[in-house]
Amino acid sequence: MKQGEFVVCGEMGPPQGADKAAILRKCGYFRGVVDAVNLTDNQTAIVRMSSVMSSVFALEGGVEPIMQMTCRDRNRLAQQSDILGAYAAGVQNILCLTGDYQSFGSNPDAKGVFDLDSVQLIHSVADMNDGKLLSGEDMKVPPRMFIGGAANPFAEPFELRIIRLGKKIHAGARFIQTQPVFDFPRFDRWIQAVRDEGYDERVFIIVGVMPVKSAKALEYMLDSVPGMSIADEYIQRMKSAADPKEEGVAICVETIKRLKETPGVKGVHIMPVLWESITPRIVEEAGLLPRPIISGPSDPASAACNRSNPRHQVDCPGTPAPDLTDRPGTPAPDVACNPTAEVAP
Amino acid sequence: MSKFGKAIAAFCEKHGFLGKCALVAENVVKKPVFGCQDCGQCVLSYDAFTCPMRCPKQIRNGPCGGTRADGHCEVYPDRRCVWWLIYERSRKLGRTAKLRKYHIPVDRRFEHTSAWLNVFAGKILPMDLSRDYDDPDWDQPRKPKEADGQPVGEAK
Repeated sequence: MKQGEFVVCGEMGPPQGADKAAILRKCGYFRGVVDAVNLTDNQTAIVRMSSVMSSVFALEGGVEPIMQMTCRDRNRLAQQSDILGAYAAGVQNILCLTGDYQSFGSNPDAKGVFDLDSVQLIHSVADMNDGKLLSGEDMKVPPRMFIGGAANPFAEPFELRIIRLGKKIHAGARFIQTQPVFDFPRFDRWIQAVRDEGYDERVFIIVGVMPVKSAKALEYMLDSVPGMSIADEYIQRMKSAADPKEEGVAICVETIKRLKETPGVKGVHIMPVLWESITPRIVEEAGLLPRPIISGPSDPASAACNRSNPRHQVDCPGTPAPDLTDRPGTPAPDVACNPTAEVAP
Repeated sequence: MSKFGKAIAAFCEKHGFLGKCALVAENVVKKPVFGCQDCGQCVLSYDAFTCPMRCPKQIRNGPCGGTRADGHCEVYPDRRCVWWLIYERSRKLGRTAKLRKYHIPVDRRFEHTSAWLNVFAGKILPMDLSRDYDDPDWDQPRKPKEADGQPVGEAK
């Protein structure tokens, strides 16, 4: 997936209801179009289907899930057990977040957990990859999660943001996803600082872009999403456009093309809020199709197994649990992978 | 010192009343001055003597992504972001290097105990008043713990 190719990630909000079909339907927008899809974890603190189960359903739908996990809803026990369960079900990517505060969401009366913070969560998952639970106990069959963290290039204090990014990388993050870019001067300053520290060579920087439907949406984000920065130019363009939706897509495509030319940027993360169906068009117009083949999209079962890293095939579901002692030290590309028939719908 | 400290801590643990006295004494100093939240595992010396536990999300490796442009908290717009304060003060005191320290998860068992006694007992890290923080591995890739020759979390 990440052999020097420009990565394209999508984002999907799980349904507000026990609607598995909705996820499988949305997977149709992403299959063969993006390399991986983020499954949000009660985004903006509004109750939705759990990101763990949604990620498993996304696997069935034939897309590579990136399971988001926040520290708002789970303590360290629940986080670890969910990670183990998700990995056993074939989910191999995790994005560790602190999470929006509960007062912004549908249950402002709830108790926030915040047992760990996102850096500690990244550290814990990296420890689990090493075969150690947070308690220090050993696991016989550890997960092998591909760990990600988030970064906000637009929030102040700037220097502290870079320090914290370094902390996340130090803790074990392997990819970083950012807030959507609507302000290039500030983004350029951030990516310059990232390059100066050499972080772009240690992690995959995947930059957020967001297609918006109206100028109102941009203004709403500017006002009510703390830590967002939106250049006036975009708001003016959206306001004066005859068809704001088309303009939103055009801006998004422009942004992606510019990011592709930016050194240090390894991919984009398209996050249309409740507008997933636009993703294929944006990817196509940005000239990022066809995506490199990493698995047979028509065969979700093999997608669950053959994903990218040959080393993962050893651990993939359907094969007998490997014994730690005879795990090969080098990647074994020819390890057979049983089709996981029981995973397929 | 450490032996002596351990003896004191053990003595205070044995005589619960003394332990409580130490906690009260600590709170008298720390609550008004630092807004201490009584976590019992103080990291003030790393965070420019500003308590990160005052953050609504209690982030010890802060800040979260929601700091407002004016440096206020996303949850309580009338408050300054604690991590903003930590950064400002670290800069003024020349302690920004200290912000690179990774803080391990909070041990909830230490809540409402005296951090001073916990330091004496060797349960938590002592204060570090120096301005520098030196982690030799900072620029290095994370080292796998197991020596099975397999890199961990390798990029796909």
